[in-house]
Amino acid sequence: MNQVLNVTDLQTHLFLKRGVVRAVNDVSFHIDKGETLGLIGESGSGKTMTGLSLLGLLPKPAGRIVSGSIQLEGRELVGLDDAALSVEIRGREIAMISQDPMTSLNPVFNIGEQVAAPIRRHGYDTQEPAASMAIEELRRVRVPSPEERVKDYPHQFSGGMRQRVVAAMAMGCRPKVLIADEPTSALDVTIQVQFMDLIQNLQAETGVGLLFITHDLGVAASLCDRVAVMYAGRIVETASVGDLYSEPLHPYTRGLLASVPRIGSQRSATSNAKARLYSIPGTPPDPLNLPAGCAFSPRCQFATEACREASPPLIASENRAVACFEAKP
Amino acid sequence: MSRLLSLDQVSCHYDTKSGSVRAVDQVSIAIHPGETVALVGESGCGKSTLAKVILGLAPVTSGTIHFDGIATHTFDKAQQMAFRKRVQVVFQDPYSSLNPRLRVSTILGEPMWAHGFKGDLVKKRTAEVLEMVGLRQNAKDLFPHEFSGGQRQRVAVARALMLAPDLIILDEPISALDVSIRAQILNLLQDIQDQHNIAYLLIAHDLGLVEHASQRVAVMYLGRVVEMGITGEVFTHPEHPYTRALLSAVPQPDPSVKRNTDLIQGDVASALHPPTGCHFHPRCPHADRRCQEQIPPEFGDNHVKCWLSQPARTEIKHPNSGQ
Repeated sequence: MNQVLNVTDLQTHLFLKRGVVRAVNDVSFHIDKGETLGLIGESGSGKTMTGLSLLGLLPKPAGRIVSGSIQLEGRELVGLDDAALSVEIRGREIAMISQDPMTSLNPVFNIGEQVAAPIRRHGYDTQEPAASMAIEELRRVRVPSPEERVKDYPHQFSGGMRQRVVAAMAMGCRPKVLIADEPTSALDVTIQVQFMDLIQNLQAETGVGLLFITHDLGVAASLCDRVAVMYAGRIVETASVGDLYSEPLHPYTRGLLASVPRIGSQRSATSNAKARLYSIPGTPPDPLNLPAGCAFSPRCQFATEACREASPPLIASENRAVACFEAKP
Repeated sequence: MSRLLSLDQVSCHYDTKSGSVRAVDQVSIAIHPGETVALVGESGCGKSTLAKVILGLAPVTSGTIHFDGIATHTFDKAQQMAFRKRVQVVFQDPYSSLNPRLRVSTILGEPMWAHGFKGDLVKKRTAEVLEMVGLRQNAKDLFPHEFSGGQRQRVAVARALMLAPDLIILDEPISALDVSIRAQILNLLQDIQDQHNIAYLLIAHDLGLVEHASQRVAVMYLGRVVEMGITGEVFTHPEHPYTRALLSAVPQPDPSVKRNTDLIQGDVASALHPPTGCHFHPRCPHADRRCQEQIPPEFGDNHVKCWLSQPARTEIKHPNSGQ
């Protein structure tokens, strides 16, 4: 068994004035060494909260892991105090790339200092000057002429280059798990492909396990080995990318895939007839007021009485799992 | 078919401290009644500036815009008002495009009041338009924060429809919305177009959406339209290397499609110091010396601005002769 990360029955709640949000509800998944697990969902589905739970970076004081287990190579992380997480885990064993590279970088420090900071923080190669460590790391993420660029500040980099710098910071300590939270959403498509290539190369070089959080079904298809689909805090379906896209089982996954306009599938070059897209009725539920039973049932055309009464468990069979009374794996 | 709107060699240059930025550079496009023309390109390519130029929110440095056959710079006051009535806009983010302190009835009423409509007429039109966009009648008494993102975008569409326009500029109308409700808004826009014969100028970076929703498409790169034609043709037979690169870069929701990064390298150049010749040449795998030195004219039916598309027997189309 090669699992670097194993999350079991994770429950993270946000205790707000207006009520309790079950941001992460009974979530279980694992990531193998060198594997990419995609976490797909809409805004508010709990995918970012899942990522932050792994790092102990939940919003304070509202967010708390209520139950469940997060094991990094067999070591339990739930219950570790913040100091231990900070010294031993965060940035060292589990690193993160977030969506907007401009807000991940400090505008008043040059790139060299920022790339070297996590390496220094975790006590590697302290003799070596920051600049030379940073040059090596920047070369690894293919920033052109790193010797000159270490002295530059974030505003002097383009969006794509900034995100490479963030990747260099995250990979500096050779983490075992990398959480990438919508890392390409702020990038243009031609820059996005280059960044996805980079991520895959870094993964091949280092064997890092990647948790790739995205709402973009195209990006997930292009990068991930396995995919977990989240809806209202729960994982509703997991499968290999091949299975998920060719044969989605959960009605939500099916609706989502059917509602995305794709290039080349709609019409021939000559006909200009407009096809209608399938659209999922209704809107995502209010997290403070989740419907009873399956959270997707009010929007689901297959929902029965049973769906409105109890939440279907995630039933696994062979290599995939689905949480739906009607869809059988 | 007569043209509703046509742009002829329109440029918009901004003067900055560090030089002139050619945000829109000699762009010619036309929109016919009831059709959807898409503008695609990456951030900074000038597509939103072009929308502003059409709306009169950014200056036209050179070139002319005709609306219903009349040049917009010759408009008198009455014509100007009529133009503003007939051309409306829906912005990307319904969280910032709706005033949080106004009820929907006021948000929808404002464009009509500005054009001198009053009283029951406005109420009647509000009711009609709410129906058109699929909102309940009691929505008029609510504030924007009482709606979900998708419903808010319906309010923004409703506001654009109040004056029964002939052209709506849709600036990334679904990209700020949740994935599961994008299709709802897209279908709504399509239904409205079918029923009321409204032309759309769709600004988008999502090529899947563009292929689905538009009849013609113009691809922009650093202020210039580099290829323009029937959407199906441009997407199945892209000619400009940038169009090809853009199409191949879009991640498809199909794991069997392999990523292809060979067609494009590097970053978009700065609009302040655009490359000489063809703007795309520093990123183009086919570029040669001519591409560095000379701006390519338009070739072929798809107005491809690329030397590679030059026919063997050179018939250079004058850029003004196309539409």
